[in-house]
Amino acid sequence: MRMLRLLLVWSWRDLRRHWAKVLAIALVIAIGTGGYAGLTSTAEWRRISYDLNYTQLAMYDLRIDLATGSFVEEGDLAALIPAIPSADSVTGIEERLIVPTQLDASTADEIVLVRGEITGSDFSEGGPHVNSYFAHTGRVLTPEDAGQPRVMVERSFAGFYELPDTGTVRISGGRTLEFVAQATTPEYFAVAPEGEMFMTEATFGALFTTLETAQDLAGMPGAINNLVLTLAGGADRDALQAELTSALDALPVGGTVLTRDDNLSYTSLTTDIDQDQAMFNALAFLLVAGAVGAAFNLIHRLAEQQRREIGIGMALGIRPWVLAFRPLLVSAQIAVLGVVLGIGVGTAIGNAMAGIFDEFIPLPVWQTDFQYGVFARVAVIGLVAPFVASAIPVWRAVRVRPIEAIRPDLTGRGSMTGRRRTLGNSFAVIPFRNLRRTPRRTALTVAGIAAALTVLVGFLGIMDSVFDAVDTAEAESVGKQPARITVGFDGFRPIGSAEVAAVEEAESVAEAEPRLILGGSVAGEDGVDIDIFIEVVDLRFGMWRPTVTAGSLDGPPGIVLSEKAAADLSLSVGATVTVRHPQRTGLASVVFVESDLAVVATHPHPVRSLAYMDLSQAALFNLAGAANGMNVIPEPGMTLANVQTELFALEQVASVQSVTAVTEAVRDAFNELLGIVQMMVLVVLLLALLIAFNTASINLEARAREHATMFAFGVKVRTALRMAITESFVIGILATGLGLAGGFAMVWWMTQILLTETLPDFALQALISAGTLVAVVIMGVVVVTLAPILTVRRMRRMDLPGTLRLVE
Amino acid sequence: MLIELKDVTKRYGEGELAVIALEEIELLVAEGEFVVVLGPSGSGKTTLLNIIGALDTASSGLVRVNEVDITGASRTELFDFRAGTVSFIFQAFNLFPGLTTRENVLFGIDAARSDADPDEVLDSVGLGTKGDRFPHELSGGEQQRVGIARALATGNPILLCDEPTGELDFTTGVQILELLQAQAGNGRAVLVVTHNREISRMADRVVELSSGRIIRDGPPAGGKAPVTDLHW
Repeated sequence: MRMLRLLLVWSWRDLRRHWAKVLAIALVIAIGTGGYAGLTSTAEWRRISYDLNYTQLAMYDLRIDLATGSFVEEGDLAALIPAIPSADSVTGIEERLIVPTQLDASTADEIVLVRGEITGSDFSEGGPHVNSYFAHTGRVLTPEDAGQPRVMVERSFAGFYELPDTGTVRISGGRTLEFVAQATTPEYFAVAPEGEMFMTEATFGALFTTLETAQDLAGMPGAINNLVLTLAGGADRDALQAELTSALDALPVGGTVLTRDDNLSYTSLTTDIDQDQAMFNALAFLLVAGAVGAAFNLIHRLAEQQRREIGIGMALGIRPWVLAFRPLLVSAQIAVLGVVLGIGVGTAIGNAMAGIFDEFIPLPVWQTDFQYGVFARVAVIGLVAPFVASAIPVWRAVRVRPIEAIRPDLTGRGSMTGRRRTLGNSFAVIPFRNLRRTPRRTALTVAGIAAALTVLVGFLGIMDSVFDAVDTAEAESVGKQPARITVGFDGFRPIGSAEVAAVEEAESVAEAEPRLILGGSVAGEDGVDIDIFIEVVDLRFGMWRPTVTAGSLDGPPGIVLSEKAAADLSLSVGATVTVRHPQRTGLASVVFVESDLAVVATHPHPVRSLAYMDLSQAALFNLAGAANGMNVIPEPGMTLANVQTELFALEQVASVQSVTAVTEAVRDAFNELLGIVQMMVLVVLLLALLIAFNTASINLEARAREHATMFAFGVKVRTALRMAITESFVIGILATGLGLAGGFAMVWWMTQILLTETLPDFALQALISAGTLVAVVIMGVVVVTLAPILTVRRMRRMDLPGTLRLVE
Repeated sequence: MLIELKDVTKRYGEGELAVIALEEIELLVAEGEFVVVLGPSGSGKTTLLNIIGALDTASSGLVRVNEVDITGASRTELFDFRAGTVSFIFQAFNLFPGLTTRENVLFGIDAARSDADPDEVLDSVGLGTKGDRFPHELSGGEQQRVGIARALATGNPILLCDEPTGELDFTTGVQILELLQAQAGNGRAVLVVTHNREISRMADRVVELSSGRIIRDGPPAGGKAPVTDLHW
């Protein structure tokens, strides 16, 4: 008992002496485990939050869309429900009117003219009961707003263009509407409108209003074209879908029944969870591996410093378990403190990530509670590692004869048997010899810092790769015509018609040429099927044509595929592919047919689905002489805003946007993600600093006698510091090299393996930018190299006689 | 005089807890002298050595070494003083384990910015063939020879030896003492601190300390004996 008390007192004194190191190592563990919990919890947070919000706002289970341009009277769609066999499973229905519009949300500073949509729902009796709304600013509409020119503007669109909390917008026909809120609804948690290509909040604005107002704005009193339903838990959704599809036959117009899983917004969000989580998991694993590895190394070295005292204890006949008690108690202090601090770090990271997620997915509620279950798994490692780290040197010390444990370990474990040529100035040699003398220690230190840097490179590299792809996409879209503007029609128009001529003759337009955009798919030989958007333009003499990376646009006609599509289909230029594409059969009817086309060229745009054909091949679609859009170049001095203002006045024009609008939106979306990256960069920076400081600090203690000898020989502190800095510099260089290699491997894995499975439509090249290289070199080389400076005060205050008189 | 101490006192702590390690020490050492500082543990002999070597400072009194008053010297001046005036030889050798024998000697040369030839110095201590060995590949006696070689390589006029034979067997210890005595013959002042009274028999002078005071300063009792006559 007395021995135990003595050991506890002794250990308490150890703690007081080493409190800074204990705290710093505990922080290393905390950052690793807390960071791991924070990063690996995102999927859990998102699932919980999505489920909560989809439930709270009653996201539909099934949705009936009438064919484009088809409407029925209010009540007609609802009347179908009681007639179906599973009517009892339906818990809520809501009839809606959804109509396209052009939205003018221009402010004093900016022209904002985009394609849009008005959704009218019934706000009476606490409705809408399915797909209800949440107002981020302002107020949700009430029954009193029915028929009034009042709407709510979709939150992401409003956020993107920094619209005021409330204000006015204009729609087609010059109607001015008051918006009383920036609101969201489950279909718009992510902006991905049905049937639209590459529409984001930058290019698509939704307005939510009462059913009466929507009918009034559309000029169709009493009309609806959409029904959304919620089902009871356990209901057979597929059976209900089939029953409703059959029930639709009773209507005079066609329609389709879609499930929640057919909703692009819903699926993109839920798919994103796993995509992002796979990446976060990999980075979290590296973070915890680096942190725990570094902590292991540091604790191991702390325990090794007690080797002599253990030897003395053995010489005095003390039992090994008693000798192990002190170092293990230090481990316990570090482990417990690390885990406690880890909860704090994890909570802080969770809160920070919640703020970031809220920025780019404006859910009504985000739940990012600390995930104790996730943390518990990694906390076990954080708890066990310190004990193992202490146990190994203790075990090694108690296995040898006491005199060997007491004696200084000069051997370097056989590592100094190599080259012995004198290298010149001894001051210059010492740092390198110190590193060679203890290769295991050097390797562990390098590995710990390298793991932290790998995480950093992984985070920054994936952003570099994405932005590089966005830059490539933007450069490809711009080509030699940076002013090019794409105009979308609301349907096919004959070239030479008054509608097309109106665009060509617009005052703000200098040049215009027709284009067709058509959806389709292309099949490879081994059953791979890729959805494509075929842009049919004048590939020979048009104002814009894609860059060719292989093949030629000047030869026989065929199809131009993206490099990624060609690679995924295992095709090269000259091969023949089967393209499934629409073919017009009547004024408003199309069928899908298959045609074999030669791949005449490939283009570098990272969006896999983009394909191009020459306008001379429009007959293949039975659309010769027709267009559903135009490429235009503004008159000199005219801006995009001028063209938008003029062309939006034309009834047939559905969209007018810069060719870079989509890439700007993608860039903006990733800029939001940069918040997470920047946060993790700070976390990793702190981790690397702690590792570097602890390494320098423990090095100083381990080399105290050598430093004292140097000072006894008149070597100045700055010279000894220079040696320590040189040693750290070598560690920094090695760790940075390893970190860059590991980070690049990480980025390569994420871009070439992980994301090709989860994000197959986007071609990413593994890339590390110059900025990332500079950041990593600053952290890995500069910070690590300069860390010994933090120990200079202790060097200066060293008790020289006491250190030199250490009897060994 | 190479070493001149006047009324030197060293006190640790304050008030009732104060411990006087050295009290009113008067000591003069000329070049070429081989002086053994003798005394039991706690007598203050190592403190005396540390003060002469500027590893520690006196609480009062004058310490002049090689005509430099180090009593009020600044930190930087003390570093320069150590580099150019005194060289230490330690009981535990304190060699740099990462450096070879030759490189350890080179360290002494670099520290003092001397122009000695490391191989010649190693030859002089009988280790001419072992310059490429690391310390852990040498015997204890050989390691201490490297320690001496490192000190000699500085070219400094004063060698301060703290129990240089404390970790060595008799035969090896005698060899080391012969080496040190030879350095005094070369014009250096050599101070050897020891508790081994037998070693004092080979000294030119014996300074005996007890409880921080010099109780005897003079030639060895019974006259100076050759190293070969020593026994312990």
